[in-house]
Amino acid sequence: MSDTHFLARPDVTAFVEEVRRLLADLDDETRDELLGGLEADLTDQVTDGAELGDPATYAAELRSAAGLPERRRRLRGRLSSGSPVSLLDRARSRFDRTVARPHVAPAWEVVAALRPAWWVLRAWIAVTALDVAAGGWEPVSLVPSLGVPGLGALLLVVGTAVSALIGMGRLWPGTGERSSAARFTLLALNGVAVLAPLTWSIPMPAYLGSSAWDGGYNDYTQGYMDAQRQHKGLELDGSRVHNLFAYDADGRPVRGIRLVDQDGNPVTVRPEDSTTGRGDARRTGCPAWNGDTATYELFPLPEASLDRGLCDTRAEAATARRPPFPLASLPPLEGGRRQAGPDQGKSGR
Amino acid sequence: MDTTQLLRGVLDLAVLAVVEREDGYGYDVLRRLRGGGLTEVGDASVYGTLRRLYAAGALTSYVVPSDEGPHRKYYGITPAGRDQLAGQAKEWTSFADTVSSLLPRSTGASS
Repeated sequence: MSDTHFLARPDVTAFVEEVRRLLADLDDETRDELLGGLEADLTDQVTDGAELGDPATYAAELRSAAGLPERRRRLRGRLSSGSPVSLLDRARSRFDRTVARPHVAPAWEVVAALRPAWWVLRAWIAVTALDVAAGGWEPVSLVPSLGVPGLGALLLVVGTAVSALIGMGRLWPGTGERSSAARFTLLALNGVAVLAPLTWSIPMPAYLGSSAWDGGYNDYTQGYMDAQRQHKGLELDGSRVHNLFAYDADGRPVRGIRLVDQDGNPVTVRPEDSTTGRGDARRTGCPAWNGDTATYELFPLPEASLDRGLCDTRAEAATARRPPFPLASLPPLEGGRRQAGPDQGKSGR
Repeated sequence: MDTTQLLRGVLDLAVLAVVEREDGYGYDVLRRLRGGGLTEVGDASVYGTLRRLYAAGALTSYVVPSDEGPHRKYYGITPAGRDQLAGQAKEWTSFADTVSSLLPRSTGASS
């Protein structure tokens, strides 16, 4: 059929060598098997007017038709079997399959539509985290103050824009074809955004400045927070007690009192709870001092106007003023007289 | 439809059929496939398929030396290859009949 006598052509030889180089990852036997006779075949083809194409494409087609793995795949697969990237890929594809299920897909559509809300929320979390990290304890609020008027609001606007741009894929690490570094950065950032608020103490009344939040939701949150920090605060019907004001039997205000429970434990307000209001209206309760120990048990707590943090130094406490009583007086109560006067304590009974 | 996609599924069958008719080296097999109507088949696909069928035991190979140039590698069919050819030919016929029966009577009328 064909003449077996022909001369090798240098271009064909070079082409075959290039293909051989591209198959270097295969073992010798497989490679030789794949390339055996190729030079002769290609020489025939070229003699018949065919053109040699791209060696890389050619090698890939040869591999594919021979049922051998692709070069890059194989390399990458070997490097990353069980690596975080492949783990991420598997998790992602499993997630995609899950949300594509018929009974999950409609719910996921709703969740996906809420993504912009998450972009805003995580921006708020980022700015609030900055607020919490930057200063002393501060009630978590809708517009983080950062101790400088207007700064919190400004950062919130900038943060929301950045977060949305990342979410929309316009800004690294959210852009287009994501590198593994970008993917892990994004994952880590979102993870921190989810977890960071769990480390905050969130007093619900200060949260939105509304007591509408003090219901069942609050109980749960407080319960959680209480479990987080052993020091439980003082509560009345589920609302935080910020300060205490005493009146005597005749309904007259009394200053400088200390209370203990039936076991003799002092009734104290948690330092974080002593803060109320925002901005110019922010008031922080100041402790009394037992040596160097601050104690929040002498009521009513004097109040200082601090931009942020707690009233926990004597210098700050020195600026404190007596808070006005919430009610100038209370109606006198009968039977008050009998109990009035000094008591001798338990031994006196 | 992209005929290269279709080809991928039946290239084994086509190559076996060509070699069964007569032993041949790579380019020879390629020319006979193209001459038989599979004009779009790629040379590397055919060569790769030949190597794969050889590795699977469906083909044998022998080298015909040349004094002046590279050796030619011929392929011939093995008994296992004949079995595979017969089996796949049957599958193909049945499959092609099934698909044909699904098509509208006037072929080429695609909606």
